Amino acid sequence: MNKTDIQAMPAGLAGAGAGGTARPKVTTFATELGRIAAIGLFFAVCLFLFRSDPFILNMMAYTFLFAALSTSWNIIGGFGGQFSLGHGVFFAIGAYTTANLYFHWQVSPWLSLIPGMILASIVAVAVSWPTFRLKGPFFAIATLALNEVAFVLATYFDSVTGGPRGMLLPFKAGLVNMVFTSRLPYAIIMVGFLLISLVVAAYVLRGRLGYYLQAVHLDEDAARAAGIDVLKVKLTGMAISAALTGIGGALFAMYLRFVDPPTVLNIQDIGVKFLLIALIGGVGTLYGPLLGALLIIPLESYLRATLGGTIPGINLLILGGLLVLFALFMRRGIFGALQGAWERYRGARS
Amino acid sequence: MAAFLNIVIVGLLLGGIYGLVSMGLNLIFGVVRIVNFAQGELVMLGMYGAYLSWFLLGLDPYVSALVVVPCLFVLGVIIQRFVLQPLQNEPFMQIFATFGLLILFQNAVLAITRGTGYSVHSELSRIVISVGDINVNLSRLIVLATVIVVAIGANWFLHSTMYGKAVRAVTQDRRSARLMGINVELAFMLTFGVGAALAGLAGVLLAPIYTLSPQIGGNFILAAFAVVVLGGLGSVWGAFFGGFIIGLIEAFAGYYLSPELKHAIWFLVFIAVLIVRPGGLFGIAGAEEVGLREQD
Amino acid sequence: MMKLTRRAALAGAAMALCLAVPGGASAEETFKVGTINPYSGPLALYGGEVNRGYELAADAVNKAGGILGRQIEILKGDATNPQEGIAAVERLATRDNADAFIGTYLSAVAGAASETALNYNKLYWDTNALATNLTERGLPNYIRSGPYSVSFADVSIDLILNSLAAKLGKQPGELTVWLEHEESVYGTSIAEHQKERLEAAGVKVLGIGAHSYKSIDLTDSVLRARDANPDIWVQTGYVPDGNLLLRTARDQGFKPKATVFVGTGDTKETLEAMGADGLEGLLVVSYPRPDISEAYGPGSKAYLEAYRAKYGEDPIAPQSMAAFVGFKIMASAINKAGSAEPEAVAGVLGSFDEPLRTYETGFGAKFDDNKQNLRAFPTVIQWQGGKQITVFPDDAAGDNKMVNIGN
Repeated sequence: MNKTDIQAMPAGLAGAGAGGTARPKVTTFATELGRIAAIGLFFAVCLFLFRSDPFILNMMAYTFLFAALSTSWNIIGGFGGQFSLGHGVFFAIGAYTTANLYFHWQVSPWLSLIPGMILASIVAVAVSWPTFRLKGPFFAIATLALNEVAFVLATYFDSVTGGPRGMLLPFKAGLVNMVFTSRLPYAIIMVGFLLISLVVAAYVLRGRLGYYLQAVHLDEDAARAAGIDVLKVKLTGMAISAALTGIGGALFAMYLRFVDPPTVLNIQDIGVKFLLIALIGGVGTLYGPLLGALLIIPLESYLRATLGGTIPGINLLILGGLLVLFALFMRRGIFGALQGAWERYRGARS
Repeated sequence: MAAFLNIVIVGLLLGGIYGLVSMGLNLIFGVVRIVNFAQGELVMLGMYGAYLSWFLLGLDPYVSALVVVPCLFVLGVIIQRFVLQPLQNEPFMQIFATFGLLILFQNAVLAITRGTGYSVHSELSRIVISVGDINVNLSRLIVLATVIVVAIGANWFLHSTMYGKAVRAVTQDRRSARLMGINVELAFMLTFGVGAALAGLAGVLLAPIYTLSPQIGGNFILAAFAVVVLGGLGSVWGAFFGGFIIGLIEAFAGYYLSPELKHAIWFLVFIAVLIVRPGGLFGIAGAEEVGLREQD
Repeated sequence: MMKLTRRAALAGAAMALCLAVPGGASAEETFKVGTINPYSGPLALYGGEVNRGYELAADAVNKAGGILGRQIEILKGDATNPQEGIAAVERLATRDNADAFIGTYLSAVAGAASETALNYNKLYWDTNALATNLTERGLPNYIRSGPYSVSFADVSIDLILNSLAAKLGKQPGELTVWLEHEESVYGTSIAEHQKERLEAAGVKVLGIGAHSYKSIDLTDSVLRARDANPDIWVQTGYVPDGNLLLRTARDQGFKPKATVFVGTGDTKETLEAMGADGLEGLLVVSYPRPDISEAYGPGSKAYLEAYRAKYGEDPIAPQSMAAFVGFKIMASAINKAGSAEPEAVAGVLGSFDEPLRTYETGFGAKFDDNKQNLRAFPTVIQWQGGKQITVFPDDAAGDNKMVNIGN
C-alpha cells in the first residue's frame, strides 16, 4: 500500500463531479486499463475454477452479459444523465440483425456483430435527435414509448422479425456459428464483451467526451455556454452506448437461439433492467454497473431457484422489498456505499 | 356515419378511462416531480380493494369507493413519507424505489390470489344505454362523468383554495415556497396521498369493466404516462384532454386502420407532439426544462 | 489498500455467485423429474395447475412401481421466459441430477429449455406447449404427448364444418366466419391454420382481427366483427381479453349465431365475469375436462376424485388432466425403454399404438417422426346454465346435446 493509492482512491472511484478530496488526482485511461485487466484476470480465474460447473457458468454468462449491457447504458444514462428507458430497442436491433443474417444467409454471428452495431447506432441517433429535446423524466417516458412502438412494429412486420412466432435459430454447434453445447464458451464470450464495454466506457469517461458528457449531465446550459456542442455530445454518447447494446443483443440472441418480441423487447426484463443494475451498483461510476450486476442477477436467480416453486410470486415479492430497502439504505448504489465507508475509514485514521 | 359517430363515442369513453387513470399520476408527476412507476399498481390495488369489499362486506363496487379511496390515500402518504421523502435528493433512486414498489405490490397480490382472474360485480355494469346504433355501458359512462367531475374539482381546488395555491407554489418553485412558510414535505405527502387516492378511485370504477389480474396496472401505466406528458406537466386540463386525444386516436386507428397497429400509431403521435411541443399541449411553457436533477 | 478493497468486493460477488448453489448431489434412490413451468408471474396459476397434473400422475405411477423401479420425485423449475428456462434446466440437471424433464405451459420456454436439456442428454417431454415449430425442430430429446396449435385449430374447424353448419342449416359454402385472435404466437398460429382450413372448405372468412391480451378496450375489434355480420365468431386468446370481448359484445349487441372460443373461456374466471346467462350457449375448444363421458376418457372420474382428494377443490383449469396423461405416457415410455436416455425413449415411441379414448383425456398414443403424438385432441364444451357441458366430438359428449345454436 503506498501513498498515491490512498489519494487516488476517492477521485478514481467517484469519477468527475463527485470528488471531494483536497488534492484530487486525475485518473487516466491507462490506470483504468490496468484495473480492467485485473478484473479480467480475476474473472478468468473464476471461469477456470468453475469450468466444469455449467450451472455457475450459465449464471456467470448471464451476469456478465447484463453487467456489460448496464455498463453500456451507463455511458449515456449515467455519465451523460440521459435516463433512457429505450435501450431495449437497440438490444432488439442487435438481436434481430444477427438472427436474420444467421437464419437466412448463414452469416456467422461474429461478422453480423458489426452490422448490428452500426444499425443500432443509426437508429439510436435517428430517434435520439428529436427526443433529446426533452429533459429528465420527459426523455425517459418518450424512450419508454419508443420501446412500445418497437414492440408493436416487431410483432407486425413478420417478414423481418418472424412476427409473434419469433425466430428459432437452428442448433449447429461450432465456433463460427457461436453455438456451443457447453456453457463455458458463452461465459468466456460474455466476459470478453464485459471487458470491451468497460474499456470503451473507461475510454469515454477518461477522455474529452466523458468530461463533456458529465458537463452536460450537471448543467446543460452551462455546458452550452462553455462552448460544448450539447446535441453532438449527447448523440455521440448515445451512438456508442447503442452500438455496445446492439452487441449485447446479438450475443443474447445466440445464447438463447430464439428471438421474439416478448423476450427481447420486454420492458421489465430487458429495457428497465439495464438501469436498475446501474442504479444498484452506482450510476455514473465506471464499475458501478458491474457491481450491480454481480449482486442483482445472482440474487434474482437464487430467489427464483429456492422460492420459485413455492408460493407464486414470493421470490419477486422479496426481490421488490429488497430493492426498496436497497434504495433507502444505499442511495448512491453499492459504489457510493463503499466509497462512503472508505471515506469514513480514512477520516478515522487521519 | 353511424359507424363514425360510434367510434367517436368509443374514443371518448376510452379517453375517460385514460384520463381517470392519469389524474393521480399527473398530480404526483406535476407536483412531487416523481416518475411513479408504481401508479398502475395503485390502480390495481384499488381494483382488488373493490373486489375485497365486495367479497367480504358484499359492497357494491361503487359504494366500496368510500372504503378503498381513503385506504389508498393512507398508503400514498406512507409511501411518500417513508420511501420517497428520504430519497428526496436522489431522483434516480426515487424512480428505482417506485420500481421496487411495483414489483412488490404486483407479487404480493399474486402470492395472495395465485393469479386467479377475479371479476367484480355491480348491477350497474350490466345496464346498457342504447341510442340508435350506439350502445354505451353505464359503468363506462360513470367513468366518463367521474373524470369530468374530478377535473373540474381539481381545477377549482388548485386555483381557489389556500391549500391548492400552496401546492401550485410548491410546483412552481419549491425553494421559494419553503421560504414563504409552506411546509413542502407535508404538501408532498398530502399530494402523493391524493394522487394515490385518485388511482384507487380509478381502480374502483374500472373494476367492474375488467377481469382483475395482478399485472393489470401495467396495461394502464404507459398510456397514463403518455397522457400526462402529452397534456402537459402540471395542467389538470392537460391530463383531461390528453386522455381524450389518445382515446380517440386509438379508437379511430383501431377501427379504420388496424387494431394491431393502434398502439404504435398513438405512441408515434405522442412522440411527434412532444417533439413539436416539448411542454405538452397544455403545459406551462418551459416546464419540460425542469430536469430530474433540479430538485432540492 | 485499494487493491484489497476491490478484491474484497469481488470476492464478495463471487461468494454471492456461490450462494446460489443449493445442496450437492444425493444418491440416486429416486427418479427425479424436473417440471419446467411458470410458477410465478402472470401465468403462475396455470403453471401450478399443470404441475398438479404431474404430481397426481407421479402418485399413480409410484403406486404402480415407479419409473425404472424407482420412486418419482418432482423438482419444480420456475421459468417465465426462455432465459429462466435455461437456468432452471441447468440447475436441475447439474445440482439436483434430474433424470428427465417435463413441461411446459409456455412455448417460448419449451424451446430454450429442451435445447439445454439436450446438452445433458436428458429427455424433454412436453405435455402442454402449443407452438408447432417445437416438434418441427426434430430435436432428438423432445417429445410432445399433448395437442398442439394445429390440433386446436383442427377441432375448432371440425366443430364448425361437421356440427355447427348443419345446425345453422347451411352448407360450408354459405357460412361466414370472423376470426379474432390475440396477437402472440399462440393466437396467431391457431388463427392462421383456421383460416387455411376454412377457406379450403369453401367457408367465407370475413376478416381476421388481432388484439393484444393486455388491451384496455376491445370495442373496435368487436365493432369490426359486428359490422361484418358473420354467422360464427371465433376467438383464440387468454382469459382477460376473452372476458373483455364477451362483455363488449354483450354491450354492443353483437350476437352471432354461434360463438366459438379456442383455448380459454371454460373456467370459473369467465363464469364469474359474465354470469351464467351471459355465457349461455358459448362454445369453448379446450383441453378435455375431467367430467367428460367415461366412454371417451376412461378413468377421468377417478382422476377427478384423486384431484379433489389431494387438493381439496375442483381443477382450476383442464390443462392438468392433459399434463397427468402426458406424464403417464412418459413413464410408460421410459419403462418400456428401460432407460431415460432420449435415444432409448425415442426408440420405443414407434411401438406405441394406443387408439383414441385410451387415456383419461380421450387421447391415444401414436407418434410421428417428429415425436408429436397424433392422437391427442382438445374437446369442445358448451356453457349451459353456468355449467361446462362437453358437446363435441359426439362420443365425448355422450348424452349431452348442444343447445341454443342458430336461434
